[in-house]
Amino acid sequence: MRAGLSTIQQTLTPEAASVLNNSIAEASRRNHGQTTPLHVAATLLASPSGFLRQACIKSHPNSSHPLQCRALELCFSVSLERLPTAQNLSPGHDPPISNALMAALKRAQAHQRRGCPEQQQQPLLAVKVELEQLIISILDDPSVSRVMREASFSSPAVKATIEQSLNSSSNSSAAAAASNSNSFGFGFRTPGAVPVPAPATNRNLYVNPRLQQGSIAQSGQQRNEEVKRLVDILLKKKRNPVLVGESEPEMVVRELLKRIENKEIGDGLLKNVQVIHLEKNFQDKTQTAAKIMELGGLIETRIANLDCGGVILDLGDLKWLVEQPVNFAGAGGVQQQQIVSEAGQAAVTEMGKLLARFGERSGSGGGGRVWLIGTATCETYLRCQVYHPSMETDWDLQAVPIAPRAPLPGMFPRLGTNGILSNSVESFSPLKGFPTITPTPPRRLTENLDPAQRMSCCPQCMHNYEQELAKTIPKESEISSSEFKSETTQQLLPQWLKSAKSQDVDAKTLDQTLTKDQELIFKQKSLELQKKWHYKCLHLHPVYHQPNVGSERITQPALSTMSLYNTNLLPRQHFQPKLGLNRNIGGSPQLNPNLFPSQSPGQAITPPGSPVKTDLVLGRPKSSENTPEKGHEESIKDFFGVVASEPQIKLHDLQANKLLSALDADSFKRLLKGLLEKVLTGLAKRRWHQLYQISGTNPIMVSLGARRDDGESEVNFRGKTGLDRTVEAVRRNPFSVIMLEDIDEADMLVRASIKRAMERGRLSDSHGREISLGNVIFILTANWLPDNLNFLSNGVSLDEEKLISLASGGWQLRLSLSKKTAKRHASWLQDEERSAKPKKNSGSALSFDLNETAGAEEDKADGSRNSSDLTIDHEDEHVPNNRLLTPTVSSLSRELLNSVDDNIVFKPLDFGLIRCEVSNSITKRFSPLSVIESHLKFKTRRLKRLLVGYG
Amino acid sequence: MGIVEEAHNVKVLGSGEQVIVLSHGFGSDQSIWRYLVPHMVEDYRVILYDNMGAGTTNPEYFDFERYSTIEGFVYDLLAILEELQVKSCIFIGHSALSMVGAIASVSRPDLFSKLIMLSATPRLLNDEDYQGGMERRDVEQIFEGMRSNYEAWCQGFAPLVVGGDMDSVAVQEFSRTLFNMRPDIALSLAQVIFLTDMRHVLPLVTTPCHILQSMKDMAVPVFVSEYLHQNIGGQSIVEVMPTGGHLPQLSSPETVIPVILKHIRLDITE
Repeated sequence: MRAGLSTIQQTLTPEAASVLNNSIAEASRRNHGQTTPLHVAATLLASPSGFLRQACIKSHPNSSHPLQCRALELCFSVSLERLPTAQNLSPGHDPPISNALMAALKRAQAHQRRGCPEQQQQPLLAVKVELEQLIISILDDPSVSRVMREASFSSPAVKATIEQSLNSSSNSSAAAAASNSNSFGFGFRTPGAVPVPAPATNRNLYVNPRLQQGSIAQSGQQRNEEVKRLVDILLKKKRNPVLVGESEPEMVVRELLKRIENKEIGDGLLKNVQVIHLEKNFQDKTQTAAKIMELGGLIETRIANLDCGGVILDLGDLKWLVEQPVNFAGAGGVQQQQIVSEAGQAAVTEMGKLLARFGERSGSGGGGRVWLIGTATCETYLRCQVYHPSMETDWDLQAVPIAPRAPLPGMFPRLGTNGILSNSVESFSPLKGFPTITPTPPRRLTENLDPAQRMSCCPQCMHNYEQELAKTIPKESEISSSEFKSETTQQLLPQWLKSAKSQDVDAKTLDQTLTKDQELIFKQKSLELQKKWHYKCLHLHPVYHQPNVGSERITQPALSTMSLYNTNLLPRQHFQPKLGLNRNIGGSPQLNPNLFPSQSPGQAITPPGSPVKTDLVLGRPKSSENTPEKGHEESIKDFFGVVASEPQIKLHDLQANKLLSALDADSFKRLLKGLLEKVLTGLAKRRWHQLYQISGTNPIMVSLGARRDDGESEVNFRGKTGLDRTVEAVRRNPFSVIMLEDIDEADMLVRASIKRAMERGRLSDSHGREISLGNVIFILTANWLPDNLNFLSNGVSLDEEKLISLASGGWQLRLSLSKKTAKRHASWLQDEERSAKPKKNSGSALSFDLNETAGAEEDKADGSRNSSDLTIDHEDEHVPNNRLLTPTVSSLSRELLNSVDDNIVFKPLDFGLIRCEVSNSITKRFSPLSVIESHLKFKTRRLKRLLVGYG
Repeated sequence: MGIVEEAHNVKVLGSGEQVIVLSHGFGSDQSIWRYLVPHMVEDYRVILYDNMGAGTTNPEYFDFERYSTIEGFVYDLLAILEELQVKSCIFIGHSALSMVGAIASVSRPDLFSKLIMLSATPRLLNDEDYQGGMERRDVEQIFEGMRSNYEAWCQGFAPLVVGGDMDSVAVQEFSRTLFNMRPDIALSLAQVIFLTDMRHVLPLVTTPCHILQSMKDMAVPVFVSEYLHQNIGGQSIVEVMPTGGHLPQLSSPETVIPVILKHIRLDITE
């Protein structure tokens, strides 16, 4: 298929080829077995140039309403959902092109050749299928035209529109002798792909919203025009307008009604019209229908009055027709919902009758007429169409789109309350060139989780669900925001805003400008995903769903994380910077460091069948089964299982844990504090989430160092550089903590690009493709002490005793039986004084200035060691590993170190101490039994490894 | 011209690499820099603007909520710099609103290379261990005066602040701009200016600050300059000028202008 694909692509213009590629990607994302014309159509519809979209709008018989296109998109997305997913498709393998699509492509080619007779002499391949031809042949596809019909579009009509524009513009361009194939022919295609908004520079983040509202105050003028349009509809078309828009359509209605009441609109029919406001009558939904009937009588009397030229019924916001109470899962809720929709149905029918009654009268010249006028958001209007399909015709409605005119009012003041100062300087670190946070996707993610529809899943599945959602959404948001851009005549996002999307404040803006109807789509998507995971979860973790059954071991950690998720999610739903911040602070006590050790074992259970997990652990596939803790636990069990009884194991576990937490708690707290600080000052919510993830699940590990695991791991990264693996990890887990291990062993390229990523917020892989860092927190670990951190460790004082013990540790290693651990261990032991420095967020490489313990000790000796790179050389003699590091590298990494948010040096002392204590206690405990020493050593190494794991 | 420029009556004068932003304080507008500007246009690109609420701005744009804290003005400043695509500037502010520059520099340190604050104060009210220069009841009186008879209040307030007699040009000038403000806006502004406390911001300011101060200033005692100097996070330097009044650039331009120019030209060194 691959070969086939590439030949096909040769027959397409780059533009068309990219559409095809995107479609294939879409199909593969949805895990579909084949790429069908539907995928292509959906891609076309979503493409930024919006060519198909415009053609659709042009061709639509009734109105050129962007809403209609939304409906179309929805229909396509639904139909794509219906396609069967491929079960046995190996990941990474693109879904092959379906026969129907192949046929469409061939048709396109044929058309294209026919279209340009002058090119007949050219070899076949030279004829490239233009995007337009591709669209036309896709429109010919029966499945596509069926979907379009569902959305009340006619594919022939759209096709005709495109062909027409093709002809007309090719004529004109022929006259203009335009030979550029890009400009050849398409009146409404924007040559520069994404149109650059001209007025963009006028908007910037800090601007007083009043200015924007006001300056478009011309807005008054704009409103005038809208009112005029309404009057037109009322009088000439004799239809009932419904103003659809996000931005205060009510204002326009009010304006219109005010003018009517003031008799400012003097001409003809509207002269003596009376207005009846209905909205407040419809509070009680069950009686709406009755009220409407009464209304009939009222109107009758009013119209009977000869003065009255007619009656306008102001319906207000139509949401009362479709609004549903929050569905508190349960029979009662469902019932209520039904009542409401029945009531709505009844209201629609009654109103229809009413209109019909008076419509006839006015038709027969009998004086007064009744108009309706209402407002709705896009979402409401769409819902109306879904729930009350007959409404539009019965009520003779015409949707009047009201263009949004400015960023939503209120966002700037909110920015203000969020406070430049309340967050202190740090919150502005994004502005200082700090890497990137793009909160958009997560927000959407949270939005999707309304309380009503929040799924009940165990934390693991929840996590997986979120990840999948995250994978879906970035694409979605890209697509839809670009749609949005191409669609609104008035550009909402300033150019610089877009380019600086990474800045968190900006992203907020972005968020807010995205309109609700897009969210509708997201919501739908997420709902589907929710269902899927809920279902999976039911099967995988039945225990979770039956609270009274089940072993406590599983439910306990599960529940506790669940509650974390909930507290986490709840505030996130109404994501507002202001609220967010407060809640975060309020919520902070919830997180205590103890969660980390206590929860991890429980979390190690990965849901089988979820592909995500295996992907996560890029560096060390082995650990997907065992977290370090678990490994430790198991090894203990293995060991003790022979000699000791169950309770003893527990006891020992406890002891070890206690030891660990006592010794390591300090460093750990600092790590946590570092994270928390970031959380509080930065864009908090998400970070919280990430923290929970840290506590709840394994951080994703990317090992950049020399590979220490055995061959199996190779499969996953064959042909992938460390950088690519990092990028992939980021891509797959945009809301996670990613741990880059052994950054010091990574090559210069990797470090340089991580540094660049820190500065720019985007990480590019080895092919130059960029990916936004999203909300990833990087934790970097390295084994060496940078010399500028030496003073920290000096305080710890390396006594000889310790050095000796460390040295002996190294020796032990060599003896050890397990090759793998030994190797791994070796590196830790070699720098005896191990200092792991996790760095928070977009970390950077540590400077491995080769200062290892040996170096550090020397420092101590001469007190004022110059930290320049030159001194490194003599240390190399001590430590062969250091040869990896060249002075240039270390300078680069020092630079990196500077840009890291926080360094945490784990005190090296701990190792020796722990090992001593543990081995002592073990020896004591088991001396009666004949345990050979090597066992003990093995254990201590395990322990150390455990510690390392914490780092 | 962008909406922001238009709303704030932004004027960009002169030519030069270095951008200098002049921001006025409460009760005045950009005309308060009228004596200074001619000395700068030769060497610098000077940006003048009116803070929202000044008499020269459209009262429609005055969002009482937005400007209920000083941050509203900070956003305005940043908006202007953004719109003019200023990459780096020297900010010269006056009175309590010179803190606008300080706060803006906290949020966008990249935009500000230096802050020159004339008669600046982080807080006008006295406090424990802090002599802002005014007592709470004085301020209440001011508000009351503004509420009851704005014009009369202006007539009384201007000479007090400028530190000259009623007939001096400076006083006339200031009372003109003062009276230009719509009374309700003036009151709202005054409440922000008089009651706000920005002392907690100072440690966050890392941009070099040049604090210029009249020897005798009814609104801002010399103590405040010292306080600023002590508490600003970055480098700072204080120069007390042999002038009187809160608006020395208006009342004694001959003394103030050379000082300001000097501080533009010279940086603080260790």
